Amino acid sequence: MNEFELLRNITIGQYLPVDSYLHRLDPRAKILAAILVIAAVTFTPSLAGNACLLAGGLALVWLGRIPLAYALRGLLPAVPILVFLAVMQLVFFGRNYDPTSPVVFQWRWIVVTGAVLKLVVVSAARFLELLLVTSVFTLSTKTTDLTLGIESLLRPFQRLRVPAHELALVVTIAVRFVPTLALEAERLMKAQASRGARLGGSRWRFISRVRRSLPILVPLVTYALRRGEELIVAMEARAYTGGAGRTAYTVLASRPGDWLAVGAAAVFLAAMLLAPFPA
Amino acid sequence: MQDAGRGGLSTRGIVISAVLAAVAIFLGATRLGFIPTPTGIAATIMHVPAIIGGVLEGPVVGAIIGTIFGLYSFFYATVPMFKDPIVAIAPRIFIGVFAAWTYWSVRRASEFWAIVLAAIVGTATNTVLVLGFGTARHYLPVKAAWVVGITHGIPEIVVAVILSLAVLLPWKRVHRGQARARV
Repeated sequence: MNEFELLRNITIGQYLPVDSYLHRLDPRAKILAAILVIAAVTFTPSLAGNACLLAGGLALVWLGRIPLAYALRGLLPAVPILVFLAVMQLVFFGRNYDPTSPVVFQWRWIVVTGAVLKLVVVSAARFLELLLVTSVFTLSTKTTDLTLGIESLLRPFQRLRVPAHELALVVTIAVRFVPTLALEAERLMKAQASRGARLGGSRWRFISRVRRSLPILVPLVTYALRRGEELIVAMEARAYTGGAGRTAYTVLASRPGDWLAVGAAAVFLAAMLLAPFPA
Repeated sequence: MQDAGRGGLSTRGIVISAVLAAVAIFLGATRLGFIPTPTGIAATIMHVPAIIGGVLEGPVVGAIIGTIFGLYSFFYATVPMFKDPIVAIAPRIFIGVFAAWTYWSVRRASEFWAIVLAAIVGTATNTVLVLGFGTARHYLPVKAAWVVGITHGIPEIVVAVILSLAVLLPWKRVHRGQARARV
């Protein structure tokens, strides 16, 4: 019956309750700092830069007092794909990618240049760094803090007609709905199975797999929309008018130490972009 | 009336974006949204909620659903290419927007074909932009991107069209009072 237990396998907002600097950080400061660090990882193409970033990622794990193995859980399932990607890059890029780079290895039509080799290492390192950063972020931030932070950060843009409160509410309702959908999907799968439907199947029979999943997917989306309609009626019946003039139960209060993180992240990003790393 | 000071996001817009984003997250979290193919790379239907949202409530809702789907796929990705915010988040914003525009421009001619075209355009947006950005960021060689695009893009389009039609046609009919039964 394990295949029908969907709720148990859903990990969204995997908060790890530890008392650390990153856990105590104001969510607004943490979101900004995370964006800056992610930008640093995304736009650093050099080997030396990526080594610095990897060290930075490990420092974040240490700062968040998160067990390293826990932060790297996503790595193991990704290894086959990483290898596949590396092989594809090695085999197919050849001289097309940076033709001026010296050839390191040649066998029949397979040509590996120095630039491609560097590309393979940088893509893998970048994945590792982003895995560390995003894991630390999701493990140290509660979903409620995240939505509060998003709302607060978007508030200055309300003059530009960005609906800050409404967007935060969208995220809150979406997160709240996932378990409800999981329960309904479990019910649908059991209902279909009790009528003799077989779920899953071989990857070689794509069409039959799709045909088997449609009796679950179509009612699930319809169910979501119907629950949505009920929620709309409920909200309008209670005269929901959006965020104007609303106060919140939890008010975010930041300390100067929180903005230190943003400053540090900004300096880090600037250093990564401006440092004259060799190659 | 509902638009006042809310950037055009009504109560309906908020709720429909949220439930459909929840569907996208659910499909990703349970792997129900990935259909394994013989090539080893799974075809995805996680973008279909963004198409449905775009058709039902317009481009703003479609963009919100796409953004949440993109953020989720960025934070929980186990594939290197999708651990890059440029590949994971940026293309997804446009799925619902382009689907909505397509639907709006064809709707007068035929409801059925409007939905079909919206699903095709939405899915193609996802495939082309993800592979395009993936190639631009050197995750994939151009040849590999073409192969993946053709072997996965076409089945994804077929599945997305079937799913969108199966959900949207009855739903729209009920709301226009043409059908009696509740779906």
